Amino acid sequence: MAEGRNSIIISIFSTSSGNGKTVTAINLAAGLANEGYAVCLVDLDLQFGDVTNYLKLEPQYTITDAQVALENKDPNFDVRKFLTTYKHSNDKGNSIEFSVLARPPFIFDAYRIEVPVVEYIINSLKYFDFVVVDLNAAFSALNLAVLDVSTIINYLGVVDFLPSVKNFKIGYDTLIRFEYEESKIRLVENRSNSQKLISGNDVERLVGEKFFHRLPNDFRSVSQSVREGLPLMFAAPDSALAKSFAELAEEYTGKSKTAPPPVIKEEKGFFSKLFGKFFN
Amino acid sequence: MNYRTIIVETNRRIAETISSTLKKAPDFEVLSTYDNADSALGQSHIYNPNLFLIDVDNPDLLQMLPAFVDLFPNATILATMSNWNADIAYKAQKSLVAGCIIKPFKPEEIIDTINLYARRGKPEPSRIISFFSPKGRSGRTTLAALLALDIAKKTKESVALIDADLQFVDLPIFFDIEPRHTIVDASHDIRLLTPNTFAPYFHEITDNLYILSSPDRPEYAELVETKSLIEVVRMAGHVFRYLLIDLPAGFNPISLEVSNFADTNFVVAMINTGLEIEHMRRTLDMFRERRKKNKIDYPIFTRVNPCTDEERAKLELQLGYPVSVIFPNEYNLVSVANSGRILYGLPKDTVMMKTIDSLANRIISGGL
Repeated sequence: MAEGRNSIIISIFSTSSGNGKTVTAINLAAGLANEGYAVCLVDLDLQFGDVTNYLKLEPQYTITDAQVALENKDPNFDVRKFLTTYKHSNDKGNSIEFSVLARPPFIFDAYRIEVPVVEYIINSLKYFDFVVVDLNAAFSALNLAVLDVSTIINYLGVVDFLPSVKNFKIGYDTLIRFEYEESKIRLVENRSNSQKLISGNDVERLVGEKFFHRLPNDFRSVSQSVREGLPLMFAAPDSALAKSFAELAEEYTGKSKTAPPPVIKEEKGFFSKLFGKFFN
Repeated sequence: MNYRTIIVETNRRIAETISSTLKKAPDFEVLSTYDNADSALGQSHIYNPNLFLIDVDNPDLLQMLPAFVDLFPNATILATMSNWNADIAYKAQKSLVAGCIIKPFKPEEIIDTINLYARRGKPEPSRIISFFSPKGRSGRTTLAALLALDIAKKTKESVALIDADLQFVDLPIFFDIEPRHTIVDASHDIRLLTPNTFAPYFHEITDNLYILSSPDRPEYAELVETKSLIEVVRMAGHVFRYLLIDLPAGFNPISLEVSNFADTNFVVAMINTGLEIEHMRRTLDMFRERRKKNKIDYPIFTRVNPCTDEERAKLELQLGYPVSVIFPNEYNLVSVANSGRILYGLPKDTVMMKTIDSLANRIISGGL
């Protein structure tokens, strides 16, 4: 590929946990990998991230090891050393492969992860076409730093419960107040067709923005996917949800006719600045 | 009411000021003034007093409070201090005095303080119960709200729900209220407050249930320092007999410090894909390593289906820890909380509400 190419960073964010961030991150990463892109999935839900649990991976290295290498000023630091490869193929000849940067093994280590280190690591993942980042549900310094460098903020909501709706709106308003461009924030409704008292259209009116994508409710397929440790494209290939994730991946790769092409992030030169600030 | 008052005050000038102020007040009668515990304890009974104002800036008098409580069980005993000091106030509370008041005070402030502490309930230190969850959407806030309602109803003592999940506002929706003050104001002002001036920061939900709400902008959470929040909790312990504190999800300075400070910490996780058991195990491991030795954290699983002893045994086997309580799914509860009808529309006679009832009883009896 030509020089100057930057990875497209898609962060998966929400204002409430348990609404499908990890399921979305994994299946989006799988969908992008399935289209032939080089993908890295970064689990930044540092304390309780489920990417490795879900995919049944046993990583040899995690983000903690990467931080230690950076703290020790390892002259041969290469982020790729700390990645774990997820590979799967089925008997129909479908196969995917993507990299995972796993969360720390212990909660106490999660506490020690520094924001500049994460920024540095995310920016080091330049070998990938797409970097998908699974965040936790909070406006923390870490999450804001990642949202800052993200090309796309995939803002996910399950809008079945009034407090969730309120927090979805508060979260969106906060992102706007923090001056993230509206074009960068993509509202994604999860479990859109589940039995609920509040309709997605009402939520759109409340938030003042349309949903970019709607993921259907399919608890059974998700459970099967988690149980088998396989992305939906393998665990439940014929499910509406698997198809919806494939569509979401296509929308981010520009294949879909309706979606605007993803904005390519400008190089702002902070990469080297940051390195200098943190390590010298 | 006629307050037949004994003043026990080390500083003669302050004693005179209090005495002359009270003498002018219609409801007060100053019977005698002492500058030491021995004389006061030995002589006061001949006056048949019903109110003691005891200077606890003096450590000797602070130490003698239990003797006053023992000897004058029918009198109201207020500890007087020059500045709010949470440690001293807590010691006074442990001595079972009626309450604490900051000098100088007007006669009506004495009456307000007596009324405030009477509303509070038994003159014992408050129960402080925190609700921790590894991740959000665990049922944590709903559980705190339901328990607070039930404890308030059963004990008739005053109960406060403190919403320390600062970034996200859930509790006001459950009760359909719009509180005027938030925990941000309270933690900002706490150094200037006394139990009397702090009480109005709480929004009354029903007879003896109050709430201190979180702000409606996530970034305001940054304005709350953990240290100030602990001071808020400590002073709230003088306004309320039960404090139920809804913590932000995961390990952060607030959830760690407040759950450390609480006498009882519930760790709440909702069964969904099954990965929650792993989250609970990691949480309990972390607490076991980092907690003071005598502290127990009580795991609670919500939305357990079927909600049976066998299922609980299965969970315990997977978890490697005893499980304190399991709750079933209660779909009706979601719609009740959704529509702000939590005060009126709770689904009675359900396993859910019976489990709440039994947990509330365990808390009230001191079994938890």
